[in-house]
Amino acid sequence: MSKQYLTAHTVDQAHPADIFSLAPTPTSLLSASGSSSLLVHSTTDASFPLQQTIAAAHKLGCHHVCTARGGVGSVAASVGFGGEIKIWSSDGKEFHLEWEITPATWASNNGNGNGNGAAGGADVWAIALSADEGYLACTTSDGRIHVWDLAAREKIQTYETGARGGGSFAMAVDLSVDGRLTASGHESGAVYVFNNDAGRTVYSLSGLAKPVRAVAFSPGCKRLAAAGNAGVIALYDMEHGEHVGNLTTPSTRPAWITSLDWNETGEYLLSGSLDGKVKVWDVARGVCVATHSETEGALWSVRWLPKTERALAPGMGKGEMFCAAGASRSITFYREATGS
Amino acid sequence: MPSIPRRQERRPESWQNSVVSSGQNVPVSATINSSSSSLVTVPLTSHSSALAKIESLMESMLDAVIAGVELPIPYRTVRSAPAGPGIRSSQNHDRQSDIVRFPGRTIQEAKRFEALFCILQLSHEALLSGKLITKRNIYYQNPELFKSQSMVDDMVDNLAFTLGVGRTDLNIVAAAKGLVSGPIDLVLNDGSVNSYDLLGSTGSLLPPVSSIQQIDFRCIKWVLVIEKEATFRTLAASGYAMSSQLGHGILLTGKGFPDLDTRRFLCLLHSLRSNMNIFALIDFDPDGIAIMRTYKNGSRRLEHEQDATVPRLRWLGIHSNDILSSNASDHEEGVGSDGSGASQDGSSQESGASSSYGSQQERPAKRARMSRMNPGPIESVCPLTQRDRKKAVEVMKEIIAAADGCGEDEFEQMLELQRMLLLNIKAEMQAVDNFGDITRWLDAKLPC
Repeated sequence: MSKQYLTAHTVDQAHPADIFSLAPTPTSLLSASGSSSLLVHSTTDASFPLQQTIAAAHKLGCHHVCTARGGVGSVAASVGFGGEIKIWSSDGKEFHLEWEITPATWASNNGNGNGNGAAGGADVWAIALSADEGYLACTTSDGRIHVWDLAAREKIQTYETGARGGGSFAMAVDLSVDGRLTASGHESGAVYVFNNDAGRTVYSLSGLAKPVRAVAFSPGCKRLAAAGNAGVIALYDMEHGEHVGNLTTPSTRPAWITSLDWNETGEYLLSGSLDGKVKVWDVARGVCVATHSETEGALWSVRWLPKTERALAPGMGKGEMFCAAGASRSITFYREATGS
Repeated sequence: MPSIPRRQERRPESWQNSVVSSGQNVPVSATINSSSSSLVTVPLTSHSSALAKIESLMESMLDAVIAGVELPIPYRTVRSAPAGPGIRSSQNHDRQSDIVRFPGRTIQEAKRFEALFCILQLSHEALLSGKLITKRNIYYQNPELFKSQSMVDDMVDNLAFTLGVGRTDLNIVAAAKGLVSGPIDLVLNDGSVNSYDLLGSTGSLLPPVSSIQQIDFRCIKWVLVIEKEATFRTLAASGYAMSSQLGHGILLTGKGFPDLDTRRFLCLLHSLRSNMNIFALIDFDPDGIAIMRTYKNGSRRLEHEQDATVPRLRWLGIHSNDILSSNASDHEEGVGSDGSGASQDGSSQESGASSSYGSQQERPAKRARMSRMNPGPIESVCPLTQRDRKKAVEVMKEIIAAADGCGEDEFEQMLELQRMLLLNIKAEMQAVDNFGDITRWLDAKLPC
């Protein structure tokens, strides 16, 4: 039994450069690219019109933008290639710059005794917002994971994955919806899970051996999915830290996976890869139920859109939607085929 | 065989005139060495002022000897010594003022005096004879005295600054670094002809650009600038300059970051034949891009130098697509029939988007061919180091700071640096070769 997804709309050449990251709110989609602007697209209209352009957000381009999974969508965060993190808040209509964490802030803010000045020595990479939009986790290229309290504007936690910053590049990070766990994926292939209440590592998960480019907790916080250069999606149980399965298609040399996202029910996983393919996986059955390849160029980000109450257009139904973007510079929206 | 237009700022007068006006009796015709010699005979400009200053310095020392007092050499150190004639423009920088005396208070000072005196003497000789002396050659005059090459380099620049002249005014130059291979002849000032297509040659050193009188381009159509000497040597040995599908061309390398003379030579070729294609073959890493930008836009340290940039330099490779191509074209066979059905639907619906992408990048057909040729470039990538990542961000900042309105080439450089950082990979140009043979890749890449 397969799922049928159709292309609902494509925003052609949305950015003038590679689109590196997508982040949905209940009513919009933020996109970040190699150019300096962040774009906000409305997802309540079938033509996905541009809602806001945040010009000159990141001078050297932006590699990560995130919103809270399951959040109300009033906070977003973005990281530029220059190493600066910007926190944006929305009044319901537009996003405004709330706060900026510059590389200089890193050096001076040593948190509550958890940090140690060296944080400024490595660049900031991946970010994740907690579901309540109060905390931001960010990784560094020397393998640290910092957690910031956004209200207090201070760093409250630093997880080390190597001796004094000697850790492997943390390429991906995620926070569980219940706020209890943080996961990081590393260049070395390692995946770490931290308990935020206890402030310590709970699981060190192996199995991928190649760089991990995406980690994602299931909405129920029971599973963690991780993927990267190995080209397979590894699933781990979060109760005991066991490797419970792999999602993979038979292929001699599977393409690097760059992005992962769970749907709202936790039944389906979305993956995007360097060969331009976006796939929908049925997690319970462990099979790929849909593959789309719009482009030969790399996909850098794939995301489900939060379910909406009403159909976008007559005849479109209320099925789930997802979107994908990457080197083609366009954003493609997909919808579940009606009547299936 | 077009003649090189005389550029006034480089050679104000003919060489003989300037020497005659300074009242020196200098042999007009000097013997010429081959291009690879460390001692070459054609000066850039003979500044009589440098000669006069050295001689007055010597006179004052002679006076000191007669008077029986300490011998002084004024010597001011430059903190970060800028090389070349730019010294004159930075008179106001903070420099430590000093005089080195003999016998002096310490043995170090005495040694320093000896070293300085040695350089002055060599420079004086070079100016009198109208020859150029390399810094390397100075070092080998007395390695024990100079201890290291960098000590000579610093002393020469400091001495030039103290005397208020440029390094080239002292007739002291850096040893030739750039290599050329291909069917081209360079006619030097003395009438000798250097050919670079000798059988079995793996490339020859460039003569100083100021000594080149004429260039015989023969029928060359392109210039390939190669970052690495090893790749250059391999291509030169295989005679690629003659056997390329694109026709005859020349290969050039500055062995990593290019020296000024190599860049000047490339600029000269470009200014004489502005319609000739000039390509760069570099590693896919931040240093490779920085090296290409040095050829193309000049370096920050020597940005006052004229005639040393080639804005038309085109980046041939290697790009992220060259590395990722095998990944992209590796089609899966075993996907469930349902899944592949959806895939077909999707691609037919979106043909517009994919074709617009294809036109901007390279043609998919070519890409597929390349990946068959190379079993797996993606297997030969390395992760970036912390230094690489910092360097990448530095280069990106430079691009943004330098480019007003950001040209297409700068845009491409930004994009490739961003992809490099995102994937956290770099790759040597060897990643795309075929067991050491990069010629097939080049033939496929060079635009016919």
